[in-house]
Amino acid sequence: MTRRALPVFATVFTVVFTVTYLVAVWKNYALFTYDAATGRFAAGVQRPGEGEGVAMYWYGWMATAGLAGLASAVAASFVPERLARKLWSGWSWLVPLCVVLVFSYLLRNYFLR
Amino acid sequence: MTTALLIVHGLLAVALLGAITHQTASVWLPGRRPAESFVARFRTVPAASYANAIVVLYLLTATLGAIIYPEYRISIRVVLEQLGLRTQNGAFELKEHFATVGLAALPAYWVFWRQPLDAAHARTRAILTALLAFIVWWNFLVGHILNNIRGFGS
Repeated sequence: MTRRALPVFATVFTVVFTVTYLVAVWKNYALFTYDAATGRFAAGVQRPGEGEGVAMYWYGWMATAGLAGLASAVAASFVPERLARKLWSGWSWLVPLCVVLVFSYLLRNYFLR
Repeated sequence: MTTALLIVHGLLAVALLGAITHQTASVWLPGRRPAESFVARFRTVPAASYANAIVVLYLLTATLGAIIYPEYRISIRVVLEQLGLRTQNGAFELKEHFATVGLAALPAYWVFWRQPLDAAHARTRAILTALLAFIVWWNFLVGHILNNIRGFGS
């Protein structure tokens, strides 16, 4: 990867990762589930039965977002330079900042009730 | 074992907090050189030299946090719910998501802080640094408060 492709790679990775993570949390698109009680991993979203296990999706959400971010960033690094130059580097802070605000809004009931 | 990892996680977080705060202050409140007072010296550190250390410290702190997270889910979160501590529980939920957003922003942060610094990305650098500083401060304070709810070794 050339030095000039790095900002495009990093910006696309950050943007796609954060947006995919938000969607993955919202819709529960976890690549895998970790059961904290038994220490077992299972593919996809596995819901524990009544009184069984402690399902953790956070690792799976990150894996979903990481794969999407990495694939998009690799693809973007092959975009012709004249197009890559048009990518505003500010997306790398604006999108994460918006995602932080959206999470704060989605979880507001913890603080308002 | 979890207690030892939690202490190391906390120590790394302190180092990260110091580094990101130094860098943020030097970017947003740059002081004149040579600086004479303690506060002025705090603001006049060479900001770019902190970037690699911040990336490494963030990765190490987040990795350790991810390792001890299941213990939190089993032993602490249940207690918070039983005690009706919704605000504290919500604060940790935000910590979890903010930490991930910070991880996602780390490659961009690192790229835009590479030497020689590109003046065209100065604003992006400054805002990414402030965003990471906010995340690190939030996560540090929430982790510290939650750790104190039950007390050491309880």
